[in-house]
Amino acid sequence: MRYTKIWLVAVIFVMALSLAACGGAAPTQAPAEKEAAAEEAAAEESAAEQASADEAAEEEAPAEEPAAAAEGDCSSEEVFCVGLVTDVGEIDDKSFNQSAWEGVQIAGEAGAQVDYIETGDAKDYAANIDLFAQNGYDVIVTVGFALGEATATAASNYPDIDFIGVDQFQAEPVDNLAGLIFPEDKAGFMAGALAAQLTQSGTIAAVLGTDLVPPVVAFKEGYEAGARHINPDINLISTFHPGGLDVAFTDPEWGASTAKQAIDQGADVIFGAGGKTGNGALIEVAGHEGLFCIGVDTDQWETVPEAHPCLVSSAMKLITPGVAGLIEMSQAGQFPSGNFVGDVGLAPFHDFESQISDEIKASLEEINTGLLDGSIETGYNPG
Amino acid sequence: MTTQTDSKAKPSRLMAIWRAASIPLAAVILALLVGAVILLISGANPIAAYSALAKGAFGSTAAFGRTLEKATPLILGGLAVAFAFKGGLFNIGGQGQLLFGAIVAAGVGFGIDGLPFIIHMPLALLMGSLAGALYGAIPGALKTYTGAREVITTIMLNFIAINFTDWLADGPWKDEGIVARTPAIAEAAAIPTWGNIPAGFFLAILAAVATWYLLYRTTTGYEIRTVGLNSNAAKYAGIKVSYTVILTMAISGFLAGMGGAIETLGVVGRYQPGFNAGLGFDGITIALLARTNPLGVVPAALLVGAMQAGSSQMQFDAHVPFQIIDVIQALILFFVSADMIVRWIVRVQPEEGEQVTLSTSWG
Repeated sequence: MRYTKIWLVAVIFVMALSLAACGGAAPTQAPAEKEAAAEEAAAEESAAEQASADEAAEEEAPAEEPAAAAEGDCSSEEVFCVGLVTDVGEIDDKSFNQSAWEGVQIAGEAGAQVDYIETGDAKDYAANIDLFAQNGYDVIVTVGFALGEATATAASNYPDIDFIGVDQFQAEPVDNLAGLIFPEDKAGFMAGALAAQLTQSGTIAAVLGTDLVPPVVAFKEGYEAGARHINPDINLISTFHPGGLDVAFTDPEWGASTAKQAIDQGADVIFGAGGKTGNGALIEVAGHEGLFCIGVDTDQWETVPEAHPCLVSSAMKLITPGVAGLIEMSQAGQFPSGNFVGDVGLAPFHDFESQISDEIKASLEEINTGLLDGSIETGYNPG
Repeated sequence: MTTQTDSKAKPSRLMAIWRAASIPLAAVILALLVGAVILLISGANPIAAYSALAKGAFGSTAAFGRTLEKATPLILGGLAVAFAFKGGLFNIGGQGQLLFGAIVAAGVGFGIDGLPFIIHMPLALLMGSLAGALYGAIPGALKTYTGAREVITTIMLNFIAINFTDWLADGPWKDEGIVARTPAIAEAAAIPTWGNIPAGFFLAILAAVATWYLLYRTTTGYEIRTVGLNSNAAKYAGIKVSYTVILTMAISGFLAGMGGAIETLGVVGRYQPGFNAGLGFDGITIALLARTNPLGVVPAALLVGAMQAGSSQMQFDAHVPFQIIDVIQALILFFVSADMIVRWIVRVQPEEGEQVTLSTSWG
C-alpha cells in the first residue's frame, strides 16, 4: 500500500481540474462537464488497476471532440476557411509570421474562418499543412522560404486547395500555388540609401539573420549597394548570425551584443534584419543617445516600441496586403500561379518625420522611382 | 521492457521494474498535472488539449508512425547520454555528434551511385555512426590526455559541429539552387518506411538492446561501469582507465551519430541545416527520464516523441501553443532530478546502487 498515495494525489488533482474546467468554460458548459466526467472515470479506473493514469487518459481521449470546434465546417461549400502554417517560431514574432497572419485576419474580418498552426520542428512542415488540408480548408498560407518544398508537395497532393507560399520563389509554376516574393534587395537599397544620408561618422552597420536564407542576403547586398550609391567610400559593418537556422532569427542577445560592437567601432546607423535577432539589435541601439536604427520586414514602429528612440524607418516587405490580396483572389476564383511579386518600401518616419530633411526625402523618392523603372539596379544577383 | 540488472532476482523482477519505473512515471504524471494547471491559467481546456495531443500521437497509423519517427533519434540520443553516464561521463555533445552522423550519412548517401541497397544503406548508416564516434572520441581523448572536462569540451564541440555542417551544406556539398542543403540521397541509401512505420525505429530498438548487452553482459561493459563508479578503484583493479574513457565517449558518439544518420537516411532524405535542431539535447532529457537505463530509454523516448508528434494536433484542435510541450518536458526533467519531491509522494526509499551517478565528472 505504499504506492497508493500517488494515485490518491492524482485523482484529487484531476477532480480539481475537472471542476475548474467546468467553471472556466461557461459557454460550452455541457460538453465540458461530459468530458470532465469521462476523465474522472478514466482516472479512477486506472487507479483501481494501478495502470498508468496518464496513458489511460490519453488512450481514452481520441474519441472525444474538443468543445471549441463548434465553428463552421470547413469541408462544406459555404464556409471559406484559411489556414496558416508558420515557420519555426511564434505567430507573434513581430515580423514575418505575424504580418502574414494579419493578412489572413483581414480575410477573417471579411467572413472567412481562419486558424493557424505554429511549427515547432522543421520536419513537421508537411504534417502541419496536412492538418489544414485534411480538414477541408480552402486556402493554406505557409510562411517562409523553408516551407517551400513542403508547400509544393502539398499543392500537388491537394489540387483543389489554393496555396500561398510567402517568400517562396517558384521555379516551376504550379496552378494552385502562388509564391509571394519580394525584391528584398530593393527594400535594403532604400534602407542603405537612408542610412548613408543619416550617418555623421561615415560608418553604418547591419545586424543580420543567417546567410543560409537568401532573402537575408538580398537585404544585406541591397543595403550595402544603397549606401554606396550615396557614398562610395562609406564604411560598412555587416554581420550575419553565425548559428544555424534554428537560432539565427531567435537570438536577440546576439543581436544586441553585435550592435554594441558595431557602435563601439563607430557605427551610428544600424540596420537590424533577422526576426528577433534583429529586434535585439534595434533595442540595443535605442539605449544609445543620438543613434539611428532601421527595422525590417514590417513597420517595426508598431511591433518594437522599445526601439522608438532610434527607429527612423523600416525596410518593409508588404506581406500583410500581399497575403490578403491573394486570399481575395482565391475567393474570387482568380488565383494567380507562379510568382507574385509583392511591394516593398520604407516605412513612415513617425517621430523622425521632422528630422529627415526634404533633401533626403527627395533623394529617397528619386531612388524609389529609379528602382521601380529599372534605371537604378541593386546589383544583387542570386546565383 | 525490463530494467533488470541482476539475473538471480527473478521472483521480484516485476517488483523491481515497478520500483525503477515508479519515479519517472510519477514525474511524468506530476508534470502533466502541473502542465494542466498552466493550461487552465492560460485559459485553455487541459482535457481537450491532452485529448488532442493523444489523437495527434496515436489517433491513426500515420500519427503513430510519426510518433515512432520522432522517438527514433530520441532513443539514440538518449542512449548516447545514458551510456556515457554509465561510464561516469556527461556527454552534452550529443547534438554535435548527431549532426556529424547526419551529414556524413548524407555524403555517403548522395556521393556514391550504383550500389545496391543491401550495401549502400548499411554503409551510409555505418559511416555516419563512425563519424559520430570519432567526433565523440575527441572530448574523450581531451579528457584523458589534458584533463579537460568533457562537460565543457562537448558543449564547445557542438558549436564547431553546427557551423561546420552548415558550411558543408552551404559550400562544398551544396545542392544546386539557392537552398543551403546537400543533394538528396540515392534511393538505395534510404531507410525504408513500411506503410507509416519507419524501419529506423527498429534499428533504434536494436541499438538499445545492444547497448544494454554491452554494458551488462560483456567485460568491456563491466570495465566501463567500474570506471564510471570509481575510476581510482578501476585503475587499482587493473582497468586501463584512459582507454576506457575514450572508448566510452566513442561509443556514446557512435550512438548519437547513428541517430543523425537514421534521420538523414530515413526521414529527411538529405542534410539540411536546422532540420536536426535540438535532437541531441533532448537526449539528455530522455536519459535522465530513463534514469540512465538503456532499456528505459525506449519508453522515455516514445513518451517524449508522442508529445512532439501530437503537438500540432493539439494546436489545431485545442488552440494550445506547442511550447507547452517544452514546458511539460522541462517539468518532467525537474521532477526526475528533484526526485526527493517525488519520493515523498510515492514513498519509495532510495536503494543501494539504484541511485544514478550524474555528478562524478563535475568533481
